[in-house]
Amino acid sequence: MSLQLTKSKALAFSLPALIAILPFLGACFYIFRFSISGEQSRIEGFSIQPYVDLMTPYFGRTVWLTLRLAFIATILAMLMAVPLAFLLTSLRSPFARRSLTIVILLPLILNLLVQAYGWILLLGPSGVLNSTLRSFGIIERPIFLLFNETGVLLGLVQTSLPLAVFPIVSSVRGISREHLEAASSLGASHWRIFFDVTVPLLRPGLFGAASIVFAFNASAFAIPLLLGGRRVQMMGIAIRDMISPLFNWSGAAAAGMILIFVTMITMLFAAWLARITSEKVER
Amino acid sequence: MRVDLLPTEGGGTYRFVIILLAICGILISSLPVIVVTIMSFSAADNTGFPPEALSLRWYSEVIAMFTTEDANSAQSVVSSTITSLVVAVIVMVISTGVCIPLAYVLARGDRRIRSGMELLFTLPLVFPLVILGIAFLLIAESLRLDIGIWRIIIPHVALVLPFVLRNCLSAMSGISLEVEEAAVSLGASPLRAIWDIVIPMMKAGILAGLIFALIISFNEFTITFFMYTVDVSTLPIWMYSRTVSSLDPSTLALSVFIIVADVVLIVLVDKLIAGRASLF
Repeated sequence: MSLQLTKSKALAFSLPALIAILPFLGACFYIFRFSISGEQSRIEGFSIQPYVDLMTPYFGRTVWLTLRLAFIATILAMLMAVPLAFLLTSLRSPFARRSLTIVILLPLILNLLVQAYGWILLLGPSGVLNSTLRSFGIIERPIFLLFNETGVLLGLVQTSLPLAVFPIVSSVRGISREHLEAASSLGASHWRIFFDVTVPLLRPGLFGAASIVFAFNASAFAIPLLLGGRRVQMMGIAIRDMISPLFNWSGAAAAGMILIFVTMITMLFAAWLARITSEKVER
Repeated sequence: MRVDLLPTEGGGTYRFVIILLAICGILISSLPVIVVTIMSFSAADNTGFPPEALSLRWYSEVIAMFTTEDANSAQSVVSSTITSLVVAVIVMVISTGVCIPLAYVLARGDRRIRSGMELLFTLPLVFPLVILGIAFLLIAESLRLDIGIWRIIIPHVALVLPFVLRNCLSAMSGISLEVEEAAVSLGASPLRAIWDIVIPMMKAGILAGLIFALIISFNEFTITFFMYTVDVSTLPIWMYSRTVSSLDPSTLALSVFIIVADVVLIVLVDKLIAGRASLF
């Protein structure tokens, strides 16, 4: 019958989308090719020099700072994401649920500049926090929470929180209430149920969410640019500096490849961790 | 006894800790937006808190910025807003236009091909935006491409494809082959059956994808930061270059317009996909 999906029809229907994603694939290939280029400013010959040049204490510190901030931000985001997911799934009123969804989702979607303005107004030297503390006489000089690691950390937690909450919500929906009721009827306390029943059931979802959040935070650019000043050199910023004042394009490409590699390793590690821990539960 | 993840009564420290952390999360998500909104109504010239008096002067300033066109500056707010909107609309049309037929094929075709293609089209979501921005910049610079506004549109399309495809796919999932067969048996051509039957049934998902693409493209900063030129610059870039040294209240009023537009659009998406699919 004519409704059968023929090969040519399938190809004709998917071709536009494939053309649309082609520049992205081209960009992925290009950045890889540039990272092994023999010249700094154009693609010519092959060399691993761009990678060798990155083996400096300076770049090592940048990688370490990036991993550390991304890790702390991921832990903080997960600590708040699980309770938020519980709250979101237990709200009865559709209006409350919808409002909470929007509040959580907005930071991911909204123009990052607007959010950076918000943090500057909140935490800046004459911002809400400092003027409140000063008017109560708690502090005399403003405390600096911006343009250092604290500011970047807050921004990272805020923008990555939605990426953690929504996958966890779907795994929370998958938990059958019978498990909880069984544990409760056997006399387990709320904390006991949480650690012995809920968390093991959620584990694959938790690792999945955490690895996405980590990858997102490790490759953050706008937040450290806007909230970190010049002082918090995360990898995104370091890569930009290689492009813009230094014109070291092959070096930037190599640093980019390292960033992609680091995030991929983390995601694979999280998937592996999820697998071995869930095997332990089954046994 | 009813047991829940969030006990409605009792629960002692467990309930307390869960609620406390959830409130922290809500505050971290919403405080910046709330403060920007409050401060935009300030009557003062600076951004000290709390505002001593309230006024709408910064809003009238924003409106003045848009109405009195400064023809001399190439990077006026009007031209970057127009560029932003044009880019967002073209991105929206292209991405949805290519995703509808793809979603149709994936929903009707081989399951293995489908999961492979879904993976391929999720890649832009997990790929670091900085690297993407730099890669597109390197391509455009080293090939000396002069493609005007398309230097922003092409990366944006790649960026929104995962969201649009997911919405179109979930819209296809409820449509069985039988409705098409019915149309064909009544004399419609197969293409006509898709156009007149399948696409109208996908409407909610298509609209959600369209709006998603619009919001993401309009708010995108990182890739555009690398790709913008003096002639082709978007609103977020204009806001960045204006506030890179200091923050002035009229930008906050402009931000409130953007916040309101985003919230309205997200509410619309949420209504359109109501419960049928998750946002991610």
